[in-house]
Amino acid sequence: MSKPIRLGSRLRYPITIVKLLKSPGDTIKKQEPLMQYSFKWMKEVGDNLRENTWMEEQTTIVNWDSPTDGELKQWNIHEGQRIEADAPCMLVKEACSHEIQFQGLCAICGKDMTEVNWAAESRDTHRAPISMIHDRTNLTVSAAQAQRTEQELQRRLLQSRKLSLVVDLDQTVIQACVDPTVGEWLKDPTNPNHESVKNVKVFQLDDGPAWLANRFWYYIKLRPGLEGFLKRIADMYEMHVYTMGTRAYAHNVARVLDPDRKLFGNRVISRDENHNMWSKSLQRLFPVSTHMVVIIDDRSDVWPDNRPNLIKVSPYEFFKGIGDINSSFLPKRQDLLKSNGVKKKSKKEPSETAVDKKEDESAVTKLQVEEQQRTFEKQIKDRPLQALQEKLDWEDEEAEKVTVQSDDGSESRSSSPPAHRRRVLLDDDHELEFLERHLTNLHKMFYDRYDKERAVHQAGANNVDFEAVPDVGDLLDEAKSRVLRGKRIVLSGVLARDVDIYKSEIGLQIMSFGADLVPRVRRDVTHLVVNASQPGREKLLEARRRPHIKIVSLEWLAECFTKWEAVDETPYLFTSRLPEEEKGNGAAVGAEGEESGSEETGKLPNGSGRKNPRLKLVTASGRTRELEDDDDDDDDDESSDDGMDDEDEGLLPDALEDGQLSPIDGLKTFNWGSADAELDEFLASGSDEDDDEEEGDEDDEDEDGDDHETGTNRDEDEDLPLGEERSLEHSLQDKPAAGESPSKKRKLRDEDAATETGTESDALAGGDETPAKRLRRAKSHHSSSLRNRYHSDVDSGLPTPRVTGDEEDAALVKGSQQNGDGGGYDDAEDFDEAELEAEFEAEFEAEFEAEEAALRTMDVEKG
Amino acid sequence: MFFLHNLERRVTLHPSYFGRNMHELVTTKLVKDVEGTCAGDYYIIAIMDTFDVSEGRILPGSGLAEFTVGYRAVVWRPFKGEVVDAIVDTVNQHGFFAKAGPLSLFVSSHLMPDEIQWDPTAAPPQFTNNADWVIEQGTHIRAKIIGLRTEVGEMWAIGSINGDFLGCLQA
Repeated sequence: MSKPIRLGSRLRYPITIVKLLKSPGDTIKKQEPLMQYSFKWMKEVGDNLRENTWMEEQTTIVNWDSPTDGELKQWNIHEGQRIEADAPCMLVKEACSHEIQFQGLCAICGKDMTEVNWAAESRDTHRAPISMIHDRTNLTVSAAQAQRTEQELQRRLLQSRKLSLVVDLDQTVIQACVDPTVGEWLKDPTNPNHESVKNVKVFQLDDGPAWLANRFWYYIKLRPGLEGFLKRIADMYEMHVYTMGTRAYAHNVARVLDPDRKLFGNRVISRDENHNMWSKSLQRLFPVSTHMVVIIDDRSDVWPDNRPNLIKVSPYEFFKGIGDINSSFLPKRQDLLKSNGVKKKSKKEPSETAVDKKEDESAVTKLQVEEQQRTFEKQIKDRPLQALQEKLDWEDEEAEKVTVQSDDGSESRSSSPPAHRRRVLLDDDHELEFLERHLTNLHKMFYDRYDKERAVHQAGANNVDFEAVPDVGDLLDEAKSRVLRGKRIVLSGVLARDVDIYKSEIGLQIMSFGADLVPRVRRDVTHLVVNASQPGREKLLEARRRPHIKIVSLEWLAECFTKWEAVDETPYLFTSRLPEEEKGNGAAVGAEGEESGSEETGKLPNGSGRKNPRLKLVTASGRTRELEDDDDDDDDDESSDDGMDDEDEGLLPDALEDGQLSPIDGLKTFNWGSADAELDEFLASGSDEDDDEEEGDEDDEDEDGDDHETGTNRDEDEDLPLGEERSLEHSLQDKPAAGESPSKKRKLRDEDAATETGTESDALAGGDETPAKRLRRAKSHHSSSLRNRYHSDVDSGLPTPRVTGDEEDAALVKGSQQNGDGGGYDDAEDFDEAELEAEFEAEFEAEFEAEEAALRTMDVEKG
Repeated sequence: MFFLHNLERRVTLHPSYFGRNMHELVTTKLVKDVEGTCAGDYYIIAIMDTFDVSEGRILPGSGLAEFTVGYRAVVWRPFKGEVVDAIVDTVNQHGFFAKAGPLSLFVSSHLMPDEIQWDPTAAPPQFTNNADWVIEQGTHIRAKIIGLRTEVGEMWAIGSINGDFLGCLQA
């Protein structure tokens, strides 16, 4: 088979063929020159320094290299030919077309496909882009090979009169859970659930992390009648397993379903081999044609591209509330047809559905694997089944007590354990019977149609006629659309109001079964489907006015979908009256929308009138809201309002509980008058500050003066610890130098400061420490004139010795440098000592005050 | 092909292992780290012995001691054209995967004798010549390597059973 080879788009057209180097029949190799061509181009020549340049036409002759290996069959070009654009230039019989590749190696010739060179325009790995085998992703094939393989498969299926059936595992044919309660029930014959779980299959996986793997068991419950179902279906269908579980999980379950591998063989595909974490695709297994493939799955949203081929099965829920253990990878399911069933998927966190798809995929995967592990752990720890059973038992006991009280004589019955404890796990599923019927019918339809077509084409009895193969998806649509044909259905209370009914899961399903979906109740509507737990009012009332409209519950729809027939509506008729109708003023609130009607259910007649103002109160202030809520806590119907409260929580602070202190509580007792006075004082002192800037040197001396004072304090103390004695030495060293140069100005200001200090330390000693003051103190820290005052703060026993130490340290160093004896000790040492000094000072607060006064008088005398 | 190869490796040791039997620990760690790995285009099958364990150098910053160890190991380097025995891993319509020790090998249906056909209806599905040859999971085969590719820590090969004395090994 020869393949036309193109010149390639990268050549500088137009080109002229100069010479053909190879002739037909020659063997050619990759990158070997096959012919020469020339092209013309313009070049700037001349002296570009003097800008004396001009364009000149150049002709270049280039070799054209072979992009492939093989045998040259024929040239489509001849010497001297001018070629304007990319076109096929030759026919080559390729040595190998690299149609099957394994991890970058051609599986036919063994060459490395990842090598890239300039001669070929496309990479060899792109020749085989399709991954179509079940258990590997690194084996890829070309489109042609895929088509051949698939034709082979179809031929075989047609000859044995079979179809392909892709089977989902979780909640379609089995349900798995990891709740250890099941294991205990399995071992305990007295448990009421023992009967139900008796045929639950058990296995452990070794693919997870070791600590997790040997801690839990998987419990697999087969859907009732599954074994017979699979056996009978296997005669008509070749079955594949397609699950979102891990590879090990899929194989273990397949082994449970099919111990001798007759049903599924090795046709098992799991999420490890699926290229997508969110959806399944038939093209992964049947890349060319899906005409002969049927899917059974409990979720239709995971098959975005293959809806026509899907038979949706109602999800199997044996272990109540467990759901699908492998669904943490999938988006949340939205197609629940049970109006008042257990809220499924409650274990799911919204975060996983909101996963940003732009994120690195591996990161997402990791996240989800962790998510799943958390789910598993939670299930093992929480044991939801046990809780359910306990609840049931408790209810029984309560009921028992009631009967005992009413009978008042039957002591014996109440003391003995209840003979028939109700059980959580009920095995009452009949889905597979109907499913088998549908599959059988479909198979019959397919081959009837095929035979008819083939008769038209007049193919031989044994020959397979691919032309005659009908699309099973079309047949399925046909069969389904007969079910509810002619019905006009209105939904009420089923979907949220902002959802487009024609795009919703249930809407699509209704339409696929041939019914017309209508948004409003009209004259020609035949059925109103209501959600029994929260019926919408408007449509319901509207429909009641028209006796020909049958008002049915969602279960009717579910039954129709399961049985594929318009079942009798009588058992599903929705007859219960709306609560406000019972009250007799349903019309009064009729103006409300259907969805809000559900919230009104069971409310007082004035409910709607009360609700809105209450909501306004909520936003007005947190405290008011609290009070309102306390009043209404008993009201179960306030769910929407509660939701509002939750939203508000982040915005408004919660009302304070008793005994809890607010950070601004101190302000209540705060003396604003004194604060103002202090502020004025502070502002007035700002004028002093300017002087201080000029007299910075003196300021430092001022610090020294303080040291001097404290030094004398220490002198008087006799019981000093060793470290403090050392610091004392330093201050003693410092003392004579510091004491030598006091200035008059400073003394005057010192007096001012001292008076201020007095007032402040008084206030602080009173213990009325407010944030406002603290703030002010922090500010004052920076102004040099207030340093004295700051000191006295420390003296009054505040726990901020470090800052003080720093300041003093700096002051000390500066001062000592000034006085020329700063080399006596190093800074680090001094730093610690400064801290110690601060503490020390605090101890001698009282004496210090007295001393200071004395010193002042001394200074005055000196002056 | 198997070789006895002299290699060198730097082994680091955590300070908590510093002590008298340090050299033994170094050897143990070397064996643990290296044996059974794929180093470029060969597999290190087993370490025969170590010699020339250098003095430890403390790595600045981490405190780990680094030893340079010379060792002699049995290595297996598969070559193009080499004939290997392998065990069939999985089978599909395009061919079958086999494991030759650590090496993953694929034999496509193009590289089998013509009389061997894919039989998807058998349980489990298999390649067979409807006589003495049945290739299914677990079958021992002998194949010739015709293509090899390596990536960091991994190797893959394409095999052929089209040739004399290749194919199923009779037990």
